[in-house]
This record gives sequence, C-alpha cells and structure tokens, in this order.
Amino acid sequence: MTTALPSQGRLEHPSHVESAKGLNAWVTTVDHKRIGILYLVTALFFFGVGGLEALAVRLQLARPNNSLVSAETFNQLFTMHGTTMIFLVVMPTLVGFGNYFVPLMIGARDMAFPRLNAMSYWLFPWGAFLLHFSILAGGAPSAGWFGYAPLSETPFSSTLGTDYWALALLVLGVGSVATALNFIATILTLRAPGMTLGRVPLFVWMTLVTSVLVILAIPVLNAALVLLLVDRQLETHVFLASGGGSALLWQHFFWTFGHPEVYILALPAFGMISEIIPVFSRKPIFGYGFVAASTVAIAILSFGVWAHHMFAAGLGHAADAFFAAGSMLIAVPTGVKIFNWIATMWGGSIRFTTAMLFATAFLIEFVIGGLSGVTFAAAPIDWQMTDTYYVVAHFHYVLFGGTAFAVMAATYYWFPKMSGRLLSERLGRAHFWLMVVGFNLTFFVQHFLGILGMPRRVFTYPDLPYWAVLNLLSTLGAVIMGIASLVFVVNLAMSLRRGKVAGDNPWEAWTLEWATTSPPPHDNFAEVPQIRGRRPLWDLAHSADAVERHIARPLMTPEETVSEGTLDKGAIAVWAFIASEACFFLILIITYVFFNFATAPAGPTASSALDVGKTGAFTVCLLASSGTLWLSERSLERMDHRASARWLFATLALGAVFLVGQGNEYLGLYSHGITFATNLFATTFFTLTGFHGLHVAVGLTALTIVFGLGLAGDFRRRRSTLLRTVGLYWHFVDVVWVVVFSIVYLKARG
Amino acid sequence: MTTWDLFTSCWRPDPLALFGCAAAIVLYWRKSAIPLYWRKSAIPLYWRRASAIPLDILAGRARPGSRVRGAPFVAGLLVLALALLSPVGTLAEGYLFSAHMLQHLMLVLLVPPLLLLGLEPLDPRARAEGEGYTARAEGEGYTARAEGEGYTARRLPTLVSWGLGVGAMWLWHAPTLCNAASQSALMHRVQEASLLAMGAAFWWPILAPRVGQRLPPLGGIVYLFSACVACTLLGIAITFSPVEVCSVFAHPVDRLGVMPLLRDGWGLTTERDQQIGGLLMWVPACVVYGVAILAVLARVFQEATPASKQSPSEVS
Repeated sequence: MTTALPSQGRLEHPSHVESAKGLNAWVTTVDHKRIGILYLVTALFFFGVGGLEALAVRLQLARPNNSLVSAETFNQLFTMHGTTMIFLVVMPTLVGFGNYFVPLMIGARDMAFPRLNAMSYWLFPWGAFLLHFSILAGGAPSAGWFGYAPLSETPFSSTLGTDYWALALLVLGVGSVATALNFIATILTLRAPGMTLGRVPLFVWMTLVTSVLVILAIPVLNAALVLLLVDRQLETHVFLASGGGSALLWQHFFWTFGHPEVYILALPAFGMISEIIPVFSRKPIFGYGFVAASTVAIAILSFGVWAHHMFAAGLGHAADAFFAAGSMLIAVPTGVKIFNWIATMWGGSIRFTTAMLFATAFLIEFVIGGLSGVTFAAAPIDWQMTDTYYVVAHFHYVLFGGTAFAVMAATYYWFPKMSGRLLSERLGRAHFWLMVVGFNLTFFVQHFLGILGMPRRVFTYPDLPYWAVLNLLSTLGAVIMGIASLVFVVNLAMSLRRGKVAGDNPWEAWTLEWATTSPPPHDNFAEVPQIRGRRPLWDLAHSADAVERHIARPLMTPEETVSEGTLDKGAIAVWAFIASEACFFLILIITYVFFNFATAPAGPTASSALDVGKTGAFTVCLLASSGTLWLSERSLERMDHRASARWLFATLALGAVFLVGQGNEYLGLYSHGITFATNLFATTFFTLTGFHGLHVAVGLTALTIVFGLGLAGDFRRRRSTLLRTVGLYWHFVDVVWVVVFSIVYLKARG
Repeated sequence: MTTWDLFTSCWRPDPLALFGCAAAIVLYWRKSAIPLYWRKSAIPLYWRRASAIPLDILAGRARPGSRVRGAPFVAGLLVLALALLSPVGTLAEGYLFSAHMLQHLMLVLLVPPLLLLGLEPLDPRARAEGEGYTARAEGEGYTARAEGEGYTARRLPTLVSWGLGVGAMWLWHAPTLCNAASQSALMHRVQEASLLAMGAAFWWPILAPRVGQRLPPLGGIVYLFSACVACTLLGIAITFSPVEVCSVFAHPVDRLGVMPLLRDGWGLTTERDQQIGGLLMWVPACVVYGVAILAVLARVFQEATPASKQSPSEVS
C-alpha cells in the first residue's frame, strides 16, 4: 500500500538559495544532504585506499617467509589500513548517513548549524591529506593504529609519520566533535511537532547516543595526542619511562577513548539495522523501548570497561576482575538488541532484497564477533589470545561483518532515496554472496591462526604447521572481498545513470524520509505529516479519521518544533561543547596530578617555582571577569545596551590582564631556565596552564566579536541569546581555572 | 576465625540503628494519624516550612485511597540494617577499607532511593496532584499551587542536590576526615547520618514522592550521568593512587581477632584492599546510576505512548 500525500511535488529551488552551479555548488554547500553525499563519496574512496593496503598486507602474508614488502613497509601498511578504515571510512560513512537522514527522519529542514556541518566535512579531507602527506615526508606512521608508547615516541619512531598521524587525528577529532554537537542540537530541538523522543526512529536515537559518546571520548584522544606530540616535538617525557614518564598512562588514555570509540563505530550501524529489518519483515520493531534503553546502557558501560584492552598490562588481579565483570555485563544490552531484531523478523513476511540479505548476514556475523569478544572478557583467555590473530578475527567480525555489512545494507536501502534510482538487485546479490564468502573465508580462519599462536602485526612468519595454508586461505578470501567491492562500486556507478526509477517510497517504509520525493527537495519537505506514533506513514495510511489523513502543518520552521525544556539550540550546543572540553581538561589535569602529587619530580616543582601570590591576583581578575560578564548579560536582558557594552568591555579588559599575567609568569619561568622539557612538573604545568590560556584567548576573541556586534547595534534590533551562549563558555573557562589553580598553585602552598 | 564464623558472629548491636529502623516502620504505617492541626495556622510559618518536607510526604499519603509501595521501603530498611548491623558494618569500623566503601555506597546509593521509591504514592490522583505543580525555572525547584495546601514544599536547587550527593563521596575520602570517622565513634555516627541525608538530597530530584518535584527525564539523565562520572573519577583516583587514602585501615586494631582471616585467608593486603575499595566505587556504583538512568528512560517511553492515545501501529 502506498501512501499518497497530496500536494507532493518537486519544489523549485528558490533562486536566492544555493545559487552556485556545478563543482562550486558542491564545494560551498551547507545543505545536509549534499554534505552527507560528500562524506559518503570521500569515504568510499578511502575504502578503496584502505582495502588496497589490506590486500598488500594479505599478499605479503600469503606465504611464509615472504618478501613482497619489507618489514618497515608492512608496519606502515597495517597502521595506515587501521587508521584509514576507522577514521577515514567507517566514521565518515556513519556520519554521512546520519547527516543525510537524521534531519529527514525528524522532519527538519536541515541540521541545527549548517555551516558548522560544512566545516566538519572539510576537516575530513584535510585530516586525510595530513595523514597521507606523511608518505612524502619521510614515511607513513608505523606504530599501529593505537600508537602505543614508547613505540610511538621519537627514539623508536624517528620519522615524522607519527607526528602526521597525531595531527591528522586531532583535525579529524575536531570535525567529529563538531558534528556530534550538531546532531545533539538538531535531534533535541528540531523534531517535527508530535515527534517526542519516544517516537524518533531508532537510527536517530542511536545517532543521538553516539554523538554523546563522541563528545566525551574524542577529547580524551585529543588530549593524549597532544601529550604525545609534546613528547615528540618538545623532547618531554610524559610517556617515556626513561625520563620519569609512564607508557602505561598512554594505554589508559587511549583505551578510555578507544573503547567508547568501538561503540561509536557500532551504534549507528545498529540504528540502520533497526530501520531495515522492520521494513523488510513488514512488522514494527519488537521492543522499541528495549532497543533504545539498551543503547543508553551500552553508552554508560562503555566508559567503564576500557581496561579489558589492558589485561596483559599488569594492572593487578583486583582491577582485572572488575573489568572482566564489566565487560561481560556490557555484552548483555547488545544481546538484548539481537533478540529484538530476531523477534522482529519472527512471524514477519520477509522480503529478501539485497538490503535485507546484508542485514540478516549482519546478525550472524555480529553475533560471531560479539561472542569472540566476550571470550576475551575472561582475563586468562585474554592473556593467551591477546595480540594474536584471534583479536584480528574478532574485531573484523564486529567491524566489517557488523558495521560494514550494516552500511552496505543501508546503502541498498537508502540509495533510492538519495539518487532517485534503485540499485541493481542482480549485481547486489552478486556483491552480497561474494562478500559473504570472501569475508568469512578471510576472517574465520584467523580465529584458528590466533589459537595456533600466530601473533598479529608480524610481517612474515615461519612455516609452522597449518599457518601457511590458513594464511593462504585468508588471502584468497581477501581477494574475493576485493572483487565483491568492485562489483559494489560498479553497481553504484551504473545505477546512478541507468537504475530503475525509485519513486518516493519504493520499500513501502514508514519513517519520514520516505514522505518526500527521491531525492528530497532543497528544504526536504513540502509539508510534514502530523506525527502520532513511531511509524508516521503507516499511521497516515491507516488513520480512521478521514479528516486526519489530510496534512495539517505547512512547512515548519525550527521555531515551531518540539523543543526540550527551555533550552535553545545554541545553549545545547555550548553545553555539549563544554562537556567535551571538560573531558579534554580532565585528561590534562589527571596527567598533572599523576606526576606531581604522590612523589614530586626532581628539579623545579610547584612549590619551588611558582609565585602563588601573583597568580592569585590574576586569578581574581579572571573570576571578576565572570562577574562583569554576568552583569553584562543582565543588562542586556533589561535592554540596557550601554551598560551591557560597558560591562562586556570590562570583561575583555580583565581577561586580557589575566593573559598578560600568565605570559609574564611564563617569561619569568623561562628566564629561570624552566621550559617544557625541564622535568615532568614543567611539562605538565605548561601543558595544562597553556591550554587553559589558549581557551581564554579563544574566549576573548569570541567575546570581542560579540562586543563588536553589540556596538554595531545587532542586539538592539532583536533579542539574541548570543551573549549568554558565549558567556557560558567563558564561565566554564573560569571554572576550569579555579580547578587548575587549586590543584597547581594552592596545593603547592599547603 | 573462619569466614563462616565471621558472617555468623560478628554482627554489630547498634541500638540507635535498630531504633531508627523500627521508628521508620511505625511512622510509615501510620497513615491517617497526622494531627490536622499541623496544617492550620497555629504553627509559625518558618516551622511549617521546615517541617514541610516530611509532613508533605506523610500528608500526601494521608489522603484516602493513596497507598504506597511497601516492598521498596522495607527493602531499603533491610539494606540499611545490613549496612550498619551486619559484618559489613563491623568490618567497616577500621578493618577493611573496601568494607567501609561498601557501607558508604549502600548508605548513599541504595538506601535513599529505595526509601523514596517506597514513599511514591500509587494512587494516580495523588501523583497527578504532584504533576499539578507549576514548573519554575531550572534550579529553583517546583512550587505547590494546589488548593488547600497550607504550606509549600520546595526542593533544593538541582545543583545543590547534585553537589551534596557527589560531595558526600568526595568529602569523606579526604584523608583527615576518613581517618577521623574511623577512629571516633561520634564522627562515625555523623558520617552515617550525613551519608543518608546527602544521599536523600541527591536522589530527591529523581525519585521525589511528589512527581512534580522531579526533574524532567532528559535533565534527570544528565544529572545521573554526570554524578556517575564524578563518582568514577574518585573511584579511579582511589584505585590507582599510590598514597593511602585512609591510613587507619593499614593498621587496624584487631579486637575481634579477624585480621589473620582477612590478610591470609582472603589475601587482602592493604594495597589490594584500597584497590577493591576504589573499584567498588567505580564499577558497581556506575551500575546503580546506570539502572537509575534506564528507569528514567523507561518512564520516557511509557509517557511517549499513553494508552488512550496509542495509534493502531503500536503493537510492540
């Protein structure tokens, strides 16, 4: 049954919007649909790059004692393969689909911050460029995708590859956090009337939870990368035991990011599956509440299990036991989801389109991957299997058999909406079967290789029993996967030009993206139907009241939509940003505490080198600036623009005084010969206070812009929350300083 | 002494705790015995306001037909008894840092929410009256506007409740305070009472008996999640800190003759004891916060599809 929405037609592009043509249109676009496609196409390109790197790895490992590539090249290949696939393929693909479909699914016109969205996209090719430029600058990074210290430190990785790796990840990380802020603000404030959070499509819900994970986890990685760069470029010893540092600290920091990261890679895929399986089983999802709530459970627990990547690092039996228990616990919510998906299929009238084939395969492959993961939760098994091919098998099953299969399913499902044409089912089936055979051949045998003891990240291996034949089978599977991917790309290219025309709703699905044309017009919807349940189009087609079938609302604007509480999108975005910055500073603070509290390092320390009184005076200035800013906000609310401008100027002045004071302090320390690399106190001190100073400078810049806008009369013309929003950031910076001052200066005193 | 001996013979006879539990049960079941004159103007306003909170609870249930959940309340009291009277309480008194941590967590994270759950009226009318409250700006709590109320029942600003709950954990682990509480019986009482009170303050915005005083669901989730993070940070600090948080536990005075069992039988060195204490604050505490978040979410989804307005498509 098709749903017929009256007055649905193609909207002409209003001439004043997006008037650029051709390539320029794509480069300058802020339309979420185009940005989504940009993400997907770029990610597809890097899928090819990463796939070729993987093929090179597998060809080298096809035979024992092979010499296709050197050991150093091999290390670069697997490092680049891992980094590319995670940061340049999977994350952008999930973000790309989210960008395209989240606004559509909630009935919005675009994301909350379209220009921020565009910036986030362009950070992606830039980060990719930085990563690959390393090849020309002395060699690609070769310390593995998680860059363990001390291998990633200068004594063991002397080329600039690791530095480019760190810089690239920093750039990509900023883009990811910006996108996550955008998603959170969009999902919380731009939903169509009637669409409560209990009625959003599960893909939207998963994107929301993933975005929260991103804003909390990526900053942790950023802080660790910053410390690594400081170590490498400024010759400090944060992670080098030879200088009093701790390599274990890198592992803790990295995996605090790394474990939520794997859920960031998995949850949106779960969302896609939750959309596809119901449609092709012709049944609503079984246990919507359970799927949604278990997602939140996974997100919370994911921050508490990172040390299961460190069972072999010697944390002690007590810690191992707790993390083992937590890791077993986190398998439960995922299991709940699997049961819900199976229950959705049970009794449904299943239609095995290519999308559904991939979704079903996802269920099987992800369960296999999940089970091998849960076996790792038992620490003694981990001690045996860690760093073997068993791990490689596990994460490829969940990341490729899981996420990548879900992405392929989503491509077959949503390509018609994005392009207006269906993908060829014949080629799709060929792609599917080749991929299933190739993938399982490649990675299932790797379980056995791991159990037989083959370590990972070795460029060759001796001719031990069964190793050669299993490796050869694995390589054969990889080649088949390559062929399958080629079929996929050919399908995409051909169907773009000559595929069957899709129409609005070729799958007879029920969520809002199918309530508009394929592809959707610039503003997404001519009219948004009234939302009264989780399947708006189904409700529309089955509503008893003929009057209700008529669409009630005209094109809606963000102001008319459901908002959470009394917060606007700016406030939500800045609070999310504050949360991410808090995580960043947390890592720097923990590093400072770690190296300075229990045992003071030799050489200058806080008590010997710092002038608490002088800095205390500057602290008073900074805290006063928060007060003057609050007074400025109050004046603005009372429409007293002169007073507001005066107080804002006072804020700027006080902030500038603080920065000058900090600069003066730094100069004093330098003149006493205390620089970054003097000892660990100096390193952690300068890093922590330096980044805080940077945030003060950024805040001052932002406030100066606001001041300029105020002088130009912007706030007289209309009420604006800009000052309050930027003010929140400034207050946060001051709160951070209170913490830093207490930990660094006051603790030095007493 | 063996483990069996420990768990059968080392219970604390704590008259104050026993009396408190008994009094709580008696008060709980006295539904209609609230003297009506409490509500009239004979009592000065400030006294009425101060006593508003407990009276509000009891008066809310004094309405005819409003029943409450007995099971969580009794469960809460049982956990309280376990925390204070059982060998957990005995070991917490200067023997094992991890037992002391377990006691803390029970007093802050388990007893208050169970007790509050037990005070939630089942009568939809009583709960709806809670929803008749008007929402004020965030942080100022909600004010009663129902007719016939002789007093208002505000709650503390959200940030204060949060601070009390998180502060309860951080405060009592400052080494001086931690040692003082383990060495002086009076400080121990103060600690127990403060943990219960601060825990109740923390859980109030989530589980207040008057539904109108609760945070909206999304705010509740942020509230709980941030508290979980704060708790986790402290747990991490304690687990990995090379410094002793509570030095009293390093050299306990062995009145009961139980130390050989703990050190040799259970293998609990001082370092491992502190590690376990930190880990308890970390993983199990987060599970409690996580369960609370899931319960809040369950409410969101229940409210999303009220039975009367359910469209035919909602078969799940």
